[in-house]
Amino acid sequence: MFGKGLFTGLGITLKRMLQPNITEFYPEEMPKLPPRTRSSMGLDPDKCISCNMCANACPNKVISLTSEKGESNKKVLKTYQMNVGRCLFCGLCTEACPTGALHVTQQFENAIYEADELKWDMIQRARKSGGKEGQA
Amino acid sequence: MDALNQLPLSIAAAIRSLFGDSHSIWADLTMDVINIILVIVLIVLAALILILLERKIAGWTSQRPGPNRLGPHGWFQTIADALKLLGKEDVTPAGADKFIFKIAPMILFALPMMTLAVIPYGKGMSPIDLDLGIVYFLAVSAVSTLSLLMAGWSSNNKYSMLGGMRAVAQMISYEIPLIFSLLGVVMITQTFSLSKIVEAQSTVPFVVLQPLAFVIYLIAGIAEVNRAPFDLVEADQEVVAGPFTEYTGLRWGLFFLGEYGNMTAVAALTATVFLGGWQGPAILPGYAWFFLKVGIIIFFQMWVRWTFPRIRIDHLMGLAWKVLLPLSILNILLTGLGIYIYDLVLRIGG
Amino acid sequence: MAVERTEELILNMGPQHPSMHGVFRMVVHFDGEIVTKIEPKVGYLHRGLEKLAESRTYPQFIPYTDRLDYLASPHNNLAYVLTVEKLMGLQIPERAEYLRVIFAELARIASHLVFIASMALDIAGWTAWAYCFRDRERILDLFEMTAGSRLTVNIMRIGGLSGEPPTEFWPALKSFLDDLPEMLEEYFGIFYGNEITQARLKGIGILSKELAENLSITGPVLRASGVNYDVRKAEPYGIYDRFDFNVPVRYGCDSYDRTLLRLDEIIESAKIIRQAMRDIPEGSVMAKVSKVIKPPVGEVYHRVENPKGELGFYIVSDGSPKPARLRIRSGTFINIQMLPIVALGWKMQDLVAIFATLDAVLGEVDK
Repeated sequence: MFGKGLFTGLGITLKRMLQPNITEFYPEEMPKLPPRTRSSMGLDPDKCISCNMCANACPNKVISLTSEKGESNKKVLKTYQMNVGRCLFCGLCTEACPTGALHVTQQFENAIYEADELKWDMIQRARKSGGKEGQA
Repeated sequence: MDALNQLPLSIAAAIRSLFGDSHSIWADLTMDVINIILVIVLIVLAALILILLERKIAGWTSQRPGPNRLGPHGWFQTIADALKLLGKEDVTPAGADKFIFKIAPMILFALPMMTLAVIPYGKGMSPIDLDLGIVYFLAVSAVSTLSLLMAGWSSNNKYSMLGGMRAVAQMISYEIPLIFSLLGVVMITQTFSLSKIVEAQSTVPFVVLQPLAFVIYLIAGIAEVNRAPFDLVEADQEVVAGPFTEYTGLRWGLFFLGEYGNMTAVAALTATVFLGGWQGPAILPGYAWFFLKVGIIIFFQMWVRWTFPRIRIDHLMGLAWKVLLPLSILNILLTGLGIYIYDLVLRIGG
Repeated sequence: MAVERTEELILNMGPQHPSMHGVFRMVVHFDGEIVTKIEPKVGYLHRGLEKLAESRTYPQFIPYTDRLDYLASPHNNLAYVLTVEKLMGLQIPERAEYLRVIFAELARIASHLVFIASMALDIAGWTAWAYCFRDRERILDLFEMTAGSRLTVNIMRIGGLSGEPPTEFWPALKSFLDDLPEMLEEYFGIFYGNEITQARLKGIGILSKELAENLSITGPVLRASGVNYDVRKAEPYGIYDRFDFNVPVRYGCDSYDRTLLRLDEIIESAKIIRQAMRDIPEGSVMAKVSKVIKPPVGEVYHRVENPKGELGFYIVSDGSPKPARLRIRSGTFINIQMLPIVALGWKMQDLVAIFATLDAVLGEVDK
C-alpha cells in the first residue's frame, strides 16, 4: 500500500525519540580512549638513546633532536623538538623507537592559540607532565 | 475552574472598568493596543519555544539530547541565539533592490500578527471576531509567498531567486486544495466566522465528520509554511537557503520569527476548524485546551520534518493538482450529499 | 515597451555549497529547474600526493594513502602495500592476510554507511544520516582499538599489519556483525522504504550499461548498471579467492539501484568477515622485512576493489628506497565523468541526488 513506508519511518523516529541518548557529554565526561590511540606523542628522556630512528621514520621531518657524547661514550639527549604543525599523527615514529622512549598518548586536546606553540619541546613536556601524560 | 476559565475575560472587564464608560472609544483603543501586544508576545514566545522544541526533537529522533548547555536542559538556548543575532552585522548585498530587500522580512513577520489576531483562543476570546474569519485568514496567509518572492528577487542572488520562484510555484499548487478542504466545514456550519465554527463543535469536533478534509489540510498546511518534506523554498542541499541566503542578523531573525509564527497560525487554524478549538472536557480551561491542540499539531509537523526526505518539485505539484485537489472536491461533494441526506432524514423523522 | 526574453541561468555550485561533497565544483546551466549543461571542475583539494611520494620512502608513504579516500583508508593502505609487495615479491603471513580482509571489509561497510548517510542527507533525510553515523562509530572504535586512529587508520604495513588486534576486538566485532541486520532494517525503514525516497530516486539518472562501460566506470556505480565486474572476483588479490561471497548486481541503472546496491554490498561484506573470523589462523602478523625497503628495479601496477570503485597504484622503482614515480588510479575521479552526461535534462534536485549516488570523496578525486 502506498504510504506504508512513510508510517514505518514515523514509527522508527518515534521509537528512537523515546530511547535514551547515546551521546557523550564531552567536556564533563571525558571519553575513554583505548591505549593505542595516537592523539599525541610523549617522550621518556631517560630511555631515549638518541638513535635518530624516529626522525628517520617520520614522513614529514617533524622530529629534530640533538645529542652530545656523555660519560662512557654514550649519547645523551640534549634537545628533542617536534614540529607538530606538520605531523600526520601516523605513529610511524613511535613504532620505530627501539626502546619505547617515544610513545603515543591519549592527550587529544591539542588546540592552541599561537602558531609557535606547535613546536613541542618534548623534554620540557615530559618534565611538566611528570610522567602523567596519557591519563587525559 | 469557571473563574480560571473566565480569567482573561475578567481581566479585560477590569481594564475596561477603569474607564468611566466601559465601551467608550478610549476603552476600546486601550484593549486593542493590549491585544496587539499580546499577539506579538505570543509570536515571539512561540518562536522561542518552537525553535528550541524543533532542535530538541531533531536531537531526540537521532538519540541526541539537543541543546543542553544554557539553562536547565538548554531551555535558554534560543534566547542566547536571538541575542547573538542582534549583534550581527546587517549586510545588504551589492546590487540588491534595497527597499524591497529591507521590507520583505517585515512583511513575513507582520502576517502571523494579522492572522493570529482572528483566532478564538477561548470562549469570547478572539482579539477580533470577524464574520469572514476563514476568508481573511487564507487571504492574509497567502501573502507570505509574496514576501518570499520579494526577498528572493531583491537579493541579487541566483540561489535566492530560484528559491523565490519555487515559493510561487508551490503556493499556486497548494492554496487551492487548502481552501477547498476548509469549504466542507463551512458548508456544515454555514458560517465563515471562526468563533461560530468552534461553537458548532461542542458535541463532536469536525475531524470526525471531515477526516479527509483534515488530512488534506494537514498536508497542504505543511506546504503552506514551507516545512519538510515540502521545504523546497529553503532547500539547503539545492538552493543553499533560498530567499534567505543573503540575509543576516536581525532581518534573518525576523524571517525566522515569521516562519515559526506562520507555523503557529496554521496549527491554530487546524485546531480551531477541525479539533474543536477551545472546546474540551472541563478539567482544563478552554484556552489551555486550545494551546494543547496547537501543540499537538506542531509536534506532528516537527515529527514529520525529522523523518521524511524532501519531495521533488514536480512531484509536489503533481500531488497538489492530481491528488489533493480532486480529493478536496470529492470531499465537498460528499459533504453536500451528507447534508442533504441528513436534512431528508430529519424531515422524514420530524 | 519591455522586450520579453528568457535566458539560461548559469549557477556556480561549489566549491562551497551544502550538497557538494567536499570541495567539488560544477558550473551548471539551468533552463528553469532543468539542467542543460554541466561543467565539473576538480582540483580544489589537490595536494600533489603523487609527487610527494617521490620524496618519501616506501613505508613513509602509507600514511599519505590514508588521505586519498579518507572514508575507507584501510583500502588505500591495502592497495598501496599490495603494490609494493608485488614489486618485491613478498609473501606475508596467513594471519595478516585474514586480518587485512577483515579490516578492508569493515572499511567497506563504514564507507557504505557514510554513503547511505550522505545520500539521505542530500535528499534532506536528516535522521537517517544520524543513524548511519551512529552505527559507523562502532567500526571506527574497532579501528581505533587496533590501529590507534579512527579515520586515517594507517593500519597496513609492507609485509603485514601494524599490530595484532587487542583481545576485546573480537567480541566487539562479533556483536557488531550480530547487530548489523537490525541496523540495515532500520535504514530500510527510514530511508529506502520511504515512498518519497523512492519517488526521488527511482528511474532518475539512467546510466546505461554501454555508457558505463565506455566511460570505464567501476565499483558499485557500474554494478548497478547491470555489469558483473568486481576486482575481488575478476582478479582476486590477497586471499579473496578463498571466500564464498556474491557480487551484488542490479539492473535498474538508476539512482535508486545505485543506492540499494550499497546495502547489498554491506551484507556481502559481513558474510566475508564472518568467514574470515571463522578461518583465521594463529601466527605472526608481520613478515620479515628489512628495515630499509629497497624494491628491485622495475614497474608494477596493482588494483583493488575500493568501496568507491577500482583503486590502482602504479609504481616505478629505480632500486632506491624511494619510488621513482607513483601514479594513482582512483575510482571516483573516473566515475565523476558520468555526471555531465547522465544528469542532463533532470531537475536541479535530481542533479544533487545523482551526484550523491557517485559517493565522491574529493580526497580521491583531487589526490
